[in-house]
Amino acid sequence: MTVLEAENVSYKYSVGTPFQITALDRVNVKVEQGDMLAVIGHTGSGKSTLIQHFNALLKPTEGRILLYGKDINESRETAHNARFKVGLCFQYPEYQLFESTVYKDISFGPANMGLSSSETDERVRRAADFVGLSENMLGKSPFDLSGGEKRRVAIAGVMAMEPEVLIMDEPAAGLDPRGRRSILELIGNYRKKTGRTVIIVSHSMEDVAGVAEKILVLNRGSVAMHGSLDEVFSRSDELRGMGLDIPQITRIFSELNKYGFGLKKNVYTVEQAKDEILRYLHKGGNAK
Amino acid sequence: MIKDITIGQYFPGNSFIHRLDPRAKLIVTFAALVEIFLCKNFLSLALIFIFSVFSILFSKISFKVVLKGLKMIYFLIFFTALLQIFYNEKGNILFEWRKIKITDGGVYTAIFMAVRIISLIFISSLLTYTTSPTTLTDGIERLLSPLKKIKIPVDTLAMMMTIALRFIPTLIEEIDKIMNAQKARGADLDTGGVLKRAKALIPIFIPLFVNSFRRAYELAFAMECRCYNGSNHRTRMKIMKFTWRDIAAFIFIGMMLAAIILLNHFFGAVI
Ligand SMILES: Nc1ncnc2c1ncn2[C@@H]1O[C@H](COP(=O)(O)OP(=O)(O)OP(=O)(O)O)[C@@H](O)[C@H]1O
Ligand SMILES: [Mg+2]
Repeated sequence: MTVLEAENVSYKYSVGTPFQITALDRVNVKVEQGDMLAVIGHTGSGKSTLIQHFNALLKPTEGRILLYGKDINESRETAHNARFKVGLCFQYPEYQLFESTVYKDISFGPANMGLSSSETDERVRRAADFVGLSENMLGKSPFDLSGGEKRRVAIAGVMAMEPEVLIMDEPAAGLDPRGRRSILELIGNYRKKTGRTVIIVSHSMEDVAGVAEKILVLNRGSVAMHGSLDEVFSRSDELRGMGLDIPQITRIFSELNKYGFGLKKNVYTVEQAKDEILRYLHKGGNAK
Repeated sequence: MIKDITIGQYFPGNSFIHRLDPRAKLIVTFAALVEIFLCKNFLSLALIFIFSVFSILFSKISFKVVLKGLKMIYFLIFFTALLQIFYNEKGNILFEWRKIKITDGGVYTAIFMAVRIISLIFISSLLTYTTSPTTLTDGIERLLSPLKKIKIPVDTLAMMMTIALRFIPTLIEEIDKIMNAQKARGADLDTGGVLKRAKALIPIFIPLFVNSFRRAYELAFAMECRCYNGSNHRTRMKIMKFTWRDIAAFIFIGMMLAAIILLNHFFGAVI
C-alpha cells in the first residue's frame, strides 16, 4: 500500500525575488507501507525540501502530496493532522529543545496531540527507553546534556508522537563514528520493532547501506534513481557523476572481483563483507 | 514566510547608486529625508516623490521588491490617512453627518502624509537595498570618526553594529527553522487567542536565545583568537574614495534643496 506520494511536485524558494531558486523539479515518488527508505543526494539537491513537503510544512508550488491517497494540503486540518501522522525530525534537532526538563521536552509533541496525561506519560517513557535515555536523565535540563544525548532527546520527542511515517533529516550528522553508528542502529531497531515506515535523509552511502532497504537519489531537485540497494549501487558510475559514491567496501569487492575472485556483488557493509569472505575461504576458493 | 521580509535586505548590483561611496550615500539619503520634511506643498512633494521613484529605477532594483517592502506599512499609511481625514478640521467642510466632519484640508493632508511616508520608505529602503551592511557601517564609522576626539568609541560601536547586522539574516533563518521544527511536533502557532499565541512563542524563543548566546560566545572566542582589539588603529581592506559619482549626487541633492525651498516660497503651503 502506498503511504506517501509526491505527485509532480515542484517547489521554488523566494518566488518573485532575484533569489528565486527551483529546489524541486517535478518530483514523483511513492513511499510504500513499511518502507525503510533512504533519501540521498549531494548538498543542495533538495532532500530537506522534499521531506518538508511530506508533513505539509512546505506547500508544493506545483503538484500534490498524497497521504493515504488524500491531498494533505486540502485544508488547515488535513495539514495539521499530517504533522502527527508523519513525524519529522530536522537536521541538528538538538537546537530546538526548549523545556526545563527532558521529560517535558519529549512530551511536547504528544501533548500537542491532545493525548491524556497517562497516555503521554507512557509514550514519553517508551520513547526515552527506546533511544537509550535512562530514567534519571528525564529530570535533567536538556541544556545540561552532551550533544549526542541532546540528539537522542530530540529524536525521542518525535518518536513519542508515534507517527505512522518517521522521517529523519541527517540523523547522524555531526556525531563521532560511534555516535553515528548507534543512532543509525537505533533507527534500524525502531523500524524492526514497530514495522512502521521510516525515511532517512543522508548524503553518506556508507551510513545508509547498513539500515536502508530502498534508496531514492535526488540530483539537482529531480529524482535520479529510486529502487533497491542492489539496483542503485549497481549504477556506481552515474552516482559518481552526481558527486555520490557507493560504499567503500562495495568498491573493494568489485575491485577484488576484477582479479577473478568470484565474490558476491551486493556487499554493502563491513559485516556483510566479513560473512562473504568467511564463506569464500570456507569454500576453499583461491585467486587465479 | 518570515524570510520574505525585504526591508533592510541588500540586493547586490552594479548600478550608479550601488557604486556611490557609502559616506556620500548616507549624506545624500539623510539630506533627501530632511528634504521630504521640508516640503510644504504638493509641487515640492511631487518633486521629491519623482526623485525617489527615479532613484529606484536608477538602482535597477525591481519595483516589485520595493512594493513588497512597503506591504508591511500599508496599514500604517492607511491609518494615518484615515486619522487625518476624520480628525483634521481645517478648510471647507465637504461632508458632515452627526459628529463626523470631513474637510478638504483633511483630505489634502491625508494624501500629503501618505505620499510623504511612501517617499520616506522608498528612499530609506533604497539605502539598504543598494549597500551591503558592512559597507554601510564602515561609512557610518568614517562619518562619525570625529567623535573619537571626545572619547566616543566609534569603531567599537561600528563593530557591534556590523556584527548585529551580520546576524540578522542568520537569526531570521534560525527562527524559520525552529518554527518548522516545533510545527513538526504539532505546535499550533497561528490560531487561538492572544494568550495562547504568546505561549506558543516560548518553544521558539527559548531555543533562539540559547543558540544566540552560544553563537555570541563562539564569535567572541574566534575574534579573540585572532587578536581582535577594538581600540587599536585598524586599517581597512577597502579604501573609500569619493568619485565623480559622489560629487554629482551632492550637486543634484543640493539643487533639489534649492528647488524645494523655491517651490515652498512661491506656492502656497498645504500643511
Ligand atoms: N529557506 C530557503 N530559502 C531559499 N533557498 C533555500 C532555502 N532552503 C533551501 N534553499 C535552496 O534550495 C536548494 C535545496 O536545498 P535543500 O535544503 O533541500 O538541500 P539538501 O539536499 O537538504 O542539502 P544538504 O545536504 O546540504 O542539507 C538549495 O539550492 C538551497 O540553496
Ligand atoms: Mg538538508
